[in-house]
Amino acid sequence: MLKGHLDMIVLAALSAGSAHGYAVIEEIRRRSGGAFDLPEGTIYPALHRLEQGGLLASRWVTAGSGRRRRVYALTRRGSRALAERRAVWEQFSEAIGDLLGGAKPWKSPA
Amino acid sequence: MEESGVISDYVDRLARELDFDRSMSIRVRQEVADHLWEAVAADAAGNLPEVQRRAVANFGDPHVIAAQFAVVSVARHSRRTGVAAILAIAGVFIAMKARVGWYAALEWVVGDDVRALSGVVALIDRYTFWLAVVIGLAGWAYIRSCRVPAAFHPTYLKQLRRFFLLCAAATAALFVAVMSDGVLTALWLSGTELSARSVVPILSMTIEIACAVVLVLHIRNLTRRTASTVTLLRT
Repeated sequence: MLKGHLDMIVLAALSAGSAHGYAVIEEIRRRSGGAFDLPEGTIYPALHRLEQGGLLASRWVTAGSGRRRRVYALTRRGSRALAERRAVWEQFSEAIGDLLGGAKPWKSPA
Repeated sequence: MEESGVISDYVDRLARELDFDRSMSIRVRQEVADHLWEAVAADAAGNLPEVQRRAVANFGDPHVIAAQFAVVSVARHSRRTGVAAILAIAGVFIAMKARVGWYAALEWVVGDDVRALSGVVALIDRYTFWLAVVIGLAGWAYIRSCRVPAAFHPTYLKQLRRFFLLCAAATAALFVAVMSDGVLTALWLSGTELSARSVVPILSMTIEIACAVVLVLHIRNLTRRTASTVTLLRT
């Protein structure tokens, strides 16, 4: 189920600011309270795919350790896509909440 | 660079799995090495080889990760092929216009004996060229509109097939246009001695042929890449 929402999760993790792959995973773990413990390797193809789709931009920076690292940031298109997905998700989650919570009892037409 | 043991073996293996896309392989290798060393630095439990092994295990199977990257690679190259088609067509157009402009500037006219034939070939040239433009633009717009998928599912394969067909049709039309241009240039040059004024027609024809050949090579690379991706996903 998580796999189907990976793009939205990655975009949401980057909404706080630019970050490299490891920091994105940490942010997902932190913001989900440890509920989303993704296989780390799956994040990178997703980052590349989102960049390919124009939703992310990336650049090389040199970390404090001296290692080169790729830092990703949301593009304007990425921010728009996240807002759209968030709206769809909120609508969906509200509908499911109502359905499971039984907010409005069903009345038989008979 | 602190690269030894388990992590370097792992990133080497991943880079080998990504050999189908050299630039992607280099970039991913660096990104993943940085990730794994960061994971090692954050993990205080155990000795170094043990921590490295844990970092690598958390990252996942290189073959599975490479398969996910392969889809991104095919998507990237198909978009590039779409752009290459547009650039090749534009290159042919510019070369063609430069030659026609040169003929006009030198008031160079085709001989009376081949005028009728030249008219027919020019007609074929014009229609096939505009056909190449329309199909090439359609292919480019189509592949740009396709979402890059997370996996190589049958729908995406179908979209790629449609794109190949559009590219192949645009290339075929462009080849006919370039061949027609070749015939026209030969007719124009027939009966005249090779001189400095022949340089522009010959050079422009060389550019046209090069553009068409580059496009064919792009398409061939893309089909090979897609085939190797499909093979990678099957293993």
